[in-house]
Amino acid sequence: MLRIEGLSAGYSAKPVLNDISINVGAGEFVAIVGPNGAGKTTLFKTISGIVKPSGGAITFDGVDLLAVPPPQRPHLGIAHVPEGRQVFPSLTVMENLEMGAMTESGRRDWQSNIERIFEWLPVLKERRNQFAGTMSGGQQQMLAIGRGLASSPKLLMLDEPSMGLAPSTADFIFERLIEIRRQSGLTMLLVEQRVAEALESADHGYVLEAGRVVLEGNNDTLRADDRVRKAYLGM
Amino acid sequence: MEGFLQALAAGLLIGAVYGLMCVGLGLIFGVMRVINFAHGDFMMLGMYTAFYLFTAAGVQSFFGNAVGPFVAILLAGPVLAVFGYFVHRTLISHVSGTRTASLEGEGHYAQLILTLGIALILQNGGLLVFGSVLASIRTPLSSSAWELGPFFDMSIFLNKARSIDMIVSLVMMILLSLLITRTRIGKSLRAAADNPTAATYMGIDVDRAHRTAFALGCGITAIAGGLLATNYPFHPFVGLEYVIVMYAGVVLGGMGSIIGAFWGGMTIGLVQQMSTLILPTQLQNAAIFAVFLLIIFFRPQGFFGRMVERT
Repeated sequence: MLRIEGLSAGYSAKPVLNDISINVGAGEFVAIVGPNGAGKTTLFKTISGIVKPSGGAITFDGVDLLAVPPPQRPHLGIAHVPEGRQVFPSLTVMENLEMGAMTESGRRDWQSNIERIFEWLPVLKERRNQFAGTMSGGQQQMLAIGRGLASSPKLLMLDEPSMGLAPSTADFIFERLIEIRRQSGLTMLLVEQRVAEALESADHGYVLEAGRVVLEGNNDTLRADDRVRKAYLGM
Repeated sequence: MEGFLQALAAGLLIGAVYGLMCVGLGLIFGVMRVINFAHGDFMMLGMYTAFYLFTAAGVQSFFGNAVGPFVAILLAGPVLAVFGYFVHRTLISHVSGTRTASLEGEGHYAQLILTLGIALILQNGGLLVFGSVLASIRTPLSSSAWELGPFFDMSIFLNKARSIDMIVSLVMMILLSLLITRTRIGKSLRAAADNPTAATYMGIDVDRAHRTAFALGCGITAIAGGLLATNYPFHPFVGLEYVIVMYAGVVLGGMGSIIGAFWGGMTIGLVQQMSTLILPTQLQNAAIFAVFLLIIFFRPQGFFGRMVERT
């Protein structure tokens, strides 16, 4: 569904991403793990068009994504749940969800989507008229996920949903994500620093270090790898 | 006492129009974070557009002296909105929005110079085209009044043109609030203001949202300018006098708050009129800024400003 080939990108002369190739098949749950500064967020920003690549190709559902202007990309079915949540603070929870549903399919499926989102993340229903900026970090993260789901995406991209959250809250959000995926079969691309959890639930994983893919495989191969065990899983 | 009530009434009437004027600027600043120094001059163009629509384009002969001015003024809004749309598209979009989002200072320096340049071109171009003679959209309404009262032997006189100005302003303000709070376009403008990057992730074209806000802001201020022109004569350099008041109103209301900008403008109208009770008229504007400083001293974020940082 999403195919990234030989992608390089950066903010100035120094590249942050170096010849990256990643493949996400329809219905797959792919995790990209790696330390701070490995280029994970830059990779997502490049997929969404906020960062322009210096080389390589991205295709989504057979469409050359790099030829599509950034604000058009969500309409193809890509939902980006950004790092640090980035909800719209002065909009209510309901209005934030409506912004998620700016895409055609989101508008079409609004009624059924909103019911499912409220079922998966009931806190959003309770707080639907509250301003997003006044919610806790965990609640904002759930809103960011709900906002992504409201667009009826084909691919949900999650950038560190556990960032800055208490471990118990992060666990809860992971559980919700796994439940959402179990029920909807949605294709997901997850970037995480909580490597153990990410690899456990994913079908396929990539390890990104200093802008390069240093390792890839299904979760058994990755978890059996000595370097991963030492560096990330603390074994 | 009678003088006080009369000044209060005059302040509310002019304050509503100032409020609408500030809202036009507040919308542009709130959504785009662009300091538009040319906004007073867009208003000047709105005044002349209303003036020529009224006198030369046949609105006066068709609608008469009572309804005519207001038809011309309301038509000037869309004209200036289209003008603003093209100014944004050809000039301002090059130094704002996604194009400069990654620059240090988000392109503010280029914006300052560009909008100052546009202001100079509009002022001097206006002088060339319209001449330096004072113009105004005066009709018999401008020099007649409704008598309110008498309450306890006191009557308040409300200038007819200014009263209608206030009503038009309030109606425009209500329509705009509905647009901003209820419609998909309005919500996407607010989302683009809150977080342009996240708005892009939602599939909102931020540059287009900016263009819409700029056009709307120009149109609204043009209408406010036309309303002012029913009582105050104007000339090509009139924008300078008003743009300072506009910024004072926007800052008072809280940068970024559209409702706040209205109340900021209202406050300025009230202070301006009430100050005449105790100060000579020449000090009206000094009084505005004395009160401005006082309010900002105690409430630096303005009436409706939020203290939260933009992400």
